[in-house]
Amino acid sequence: MNPSKLQLKLFADRSGPHPESEAFIPVFHRWIKDHVLAELVIDVANYAHVPKGPGVVLIGHTGDYYLDDTDARFGLLYSRKRGLASATFEARLEDLFRRTLHAASLLEKEALATAGGEGRLRFATNELLFRVNDRLAAPATDETFAALRPALEVMARRLFDGPFELTRVGDARGLFGVKLVGTGKAADLASLLARVGGPPATDLP
Amino acid sequence: MNAAKTWKEKLGNTVPEAWAREIDVFETQIELRKKGKIEEKLFAETRLRRGTYGQRYDNGQRHDGAVTQLLTYPSGEITKGPVTLWDAPGMQRIKIPYGRLTIAQLETIADLAEEYSDRILHVTTRQDIQLHFIHIEDTPDLMRRLAAAGITTREACGNTVRNVTGCPYAGVCQTESFDVTPYAHAMTFFLLGHDDTQSFGRKFKLSFSGCKDNPCALANFHDIGCIARTRTVDGRKERGFEVVVGGGLGSVPQNAQLFDTFVPETELLPLAQAMSRVYARLGEKQNRAKARLKFLVKKLGLEEFKRLVLEERATLRPDPRWTAFLADLHVTDEKPLRAAGPLPAGPYPEGFAAWRATNVVPQAQPGYVMALVTLPLGDLTSDQARLLADVARQFTGDTLRTTADQNLLLRWVSEADLPALYQALRAADLAGAGAGTLTDIVACPGTDTCKLGISSSRALAAQLSRELTGSALAENPHAKGLHIKASGCFNACGQHHVADLGFLGVSRNVNGRRVPHFQLVVGGQWTNNAGSYGLAIGAVPSKRVPEVVKRLAGRFAAERQGDETFAAFVNRIGKKTIRALVEEMQAVPPHEVDPSFYTDWGDPREYTIDDMGVGECAGEVVPMVEVGLADAEREIFESQILLEEKKPAEAVARAYSAMLVAARALTREKNANLSNDPNEIVAEFRKHFCDTQLFYDPYAGPKFAQYFFRIHDEHAHAKDPEAVHQLIEEATLFVDAAHQVYARLGASLGGPALGIAPAAGASAIPSPGVGA
Repeated sequence: MNPSKLQLKLFADRSGPHPESEAFIPVFHRWIKDHVLAELVIDVANYAHVPKGPGVVLIGHTGDYYLDDTDARFGLLYSRKRGLASATFEARLEDLFRRTLHAASLLEKEALATAGGEGRLRFATNELLFRVNDRLAAPATDETFAALRPALEVMARRLFDGPFELTRVGDARGLFGVKLVGTGKAADLASLLARVGGPPATDLP
Repeated sequence: MNAAKTWKEKLGNTVPEAWAREIDVFETQIELRKKGKIEEKLFAETRLRRGTYGQRYDNGQRHDGAVTQLLTYPSGEITKGPVTLWDAPGMQRIKIPYGRLTIAQLETIADLAEEYSDRILHVTTRQDIQLHFIHIEDTPDLMRRLAAAGITTREACGNTVRNVTGCPYAGVCQTESFDVTPYAHAMTFFLLGHDDTQSFGRKFKLSFSGCKDNPCALANFHDIGCIARTRTVDGRKERGFEVVVGGGLGSVPQNAQLFDTFVPETELLPLAQAMSRVYARLGEKQNRAKARLKFLVKKLGLEEFKRLVLEERATLRPDPRWTAFLADLHVTDEKPLRAAGPLPAGPYPEGFAAWRATNVVPQAQPGYVMALVTLPLGDLTSDQARLLADVARQFTGDTLRTTADQNLLLRWVSEADLPALYQALRAADLAGAGAGTLTDIVACPGTDTCKLGISSSRALAAQLSRELTGSALAENPHAKGLHIKASGCFNACGQHHVADLGFLGVSRNVNGRRVPHFQLVVGGQWTNNAGSYGLAIGAVPSKRVPEVVKRLAGRFAAERQGDETFAAFVNRIGKKTIRALVEEMQAVPPHEVDPSFYTDWGDPREYTIDDMGVGECAGEVVPMVEVGLADAEREIFESQILLEEKKPAEAVARAYSAMLVAARALTREKNANLSNDPNEIVAEFRKHFCDTQLFYDPYAGPKFAQYFFRIHDEHAHAKDPEAVHQLIEEATLFVDAAHQVYARLGASLGGPALGIAPAAGASAIPSPGVGA
């Protein structure tokens, strides 16, 4: 099993207030203008009017970045749509983690600069949600979990550099999902990013 | 058991055979276009006819507020239509005939929005559902999954019969003459893919309304509006329709004209067919701005149009489908899931009373009500759609409908369940009150995604909703019922002409800079099936629109007399008064004083109209004969593939089919009643093209036509591989000869040629010219 449409969500730290997703609309526009990310990003979609929805989305060619509020849990969701056609699942996973963590670290910095720092945003580093956005390639079943678990464990080990738990989440109608929880001491975002290889260098084909 | 590797494999025969074939064909066309073997204009129209639409920035350019930057897609310069890059994300329109949705269909669309789009289902003003940011190469699987749920996207865009809309209350309405649902259903599938609807110069819209006075189907701005009527003849009640024609919005709004006060139900489908033929034959093809039916009716005059239609009606070949559906008008009936019962005594959940007051409509059937699900800007998430499916599964069954004001409707709700239903909707964040009120604002996509958008209608609507929700104005009994609708440009997809307060996006130059504006249109009549259109008063800067709304609605709230409508109020106080109020709001501060006026709502970039592109709304005018010839070429290509796959019998059959398709494409231009019967096609082709020597090569004589006649006479049976190869070559020569005939005869066969790329391998054909 080698699904390619992978998603990763980092949740905002619940300990403090975070800015409204619409505060990041100018940020995303600037990212497009200044080519901040190493990939082709095209447009900004605003769905902040829909409760617990996709929020504000930076639409890209190979992937989208959502300031997502599903289940009223604000966070950054990166969703890989295409590309990396000939890569292994392990390579796809690494790319997924690098892009998500990199964008999250950029957003944390942007948030500090937003509204004089009032809208501070911090992402929790001990809980992540992995999903496969492809019901054909990875149905929400125990078989899918069994097939993908080894690679996810390797990635979780690298990421947390300590103990962790993987738990399958979601129902049969939804997407296949796994919660990754680091049970040891939480590291900062920069450390996590460094452990998985640092920022992505390019928009891989 | 091996897991399926593709959706095609997984869905298997759950997709209706004909639809499966159409989608396979479209997938092949995608492949051919990618290889440059289909001309881009033809592919664009093909794609549009599958509901696959372009989106803003698909020309590979985007203004960043200072300069236009290039969007460099990996597929480079390959296009999927004129100035439309292959990799650029697009929109998929999903036709929901008369707005009727099943639970399974809603769940399927929820999954598709999640897997191929951005997790948002957008309900449109014509009861469709649209998904945005979709890659063209994902569309065949998306269509297969829809087809397995009973939905086709065929003819959702392009110069075709668009979604047949209908009153969402049909069948349960207290004021309808009768349930129009089975008629809208029959009309949808009768006209879908019909030969007589393939050669339009523009789109063609129909709607069905159960009664004349209410606005639910907006018959008066449709090309054909059908309003249910009954009459009594010899003591027997007969059903029929008042038919209006030639209505439309857009830059030149036109109220439909009365074609007939009573068209019997048996005559409705043939009348629509006859109108389609007249429109296809006489409608404008070159100037798209003048190509809608409304212009033809105006040009000919209603009486002449009527005469031509009735004359055409008399020539139609009888079709059993005209009346077959009348044998079972209950085919679309809905059955309640739960027993009717009275509303239980309170106390009720928080917010229930306000929700019930605006979102619950009594049904004709005692003990049942309808519940409107208010969708902000017509949007709901995939998660919400699945939760709504659960709500329907628990309380109503398959009774969902989309509405023209971008909401969803649950029908057959037992009043006894109403508090529990409300609680369930609230858990899904779908229990917003205010349906059909001042805060329930309709908006087209505008600059968010539309290539033609001038101003941001969606962001304006969001801002208005934000400012009005919970305000005293929104609760004022006089102002509460006002309708606001916003369009991003004059094409009026937001239906601003039929709002109390309508807005259409325009741009103005101020101090040497562009400033987004909205033209204010007041006093449109939403009732009486969109009985009359509003009048433009003047343009105001986008950023001042909320203040304009508050002032006008506030004045109406303070000065309304009795049950006066807003339109009557506008007439009473006079346009000059309204204009004076608008003039006060037209000032734009200098950029250095307030730069926010030089940006649009929801977009921090300095405003520009440089991102506007070429609209695909109308598609390309591609005559039916060209579509047929392109289909024939595609079938030649497929026959070659089948031969490579060592399927000689299928290869021969496909090559023969290609010749039939090409012959029919030409011959139908001579005989509009031509059927799909191969014997009839051959006989008519012989009569019109061979006996006349139109299909005759100066060097090869009638040879190419004889290839066709021979394979037909031999019943296209399989031969040895070499013979099959030979037969495919002959089919290729025949199709190419058909092209030559069309190129030479041009306008007399349905229009000028568009320069279709030759068939695979066709370059080897030594055909300097066929014909006399």
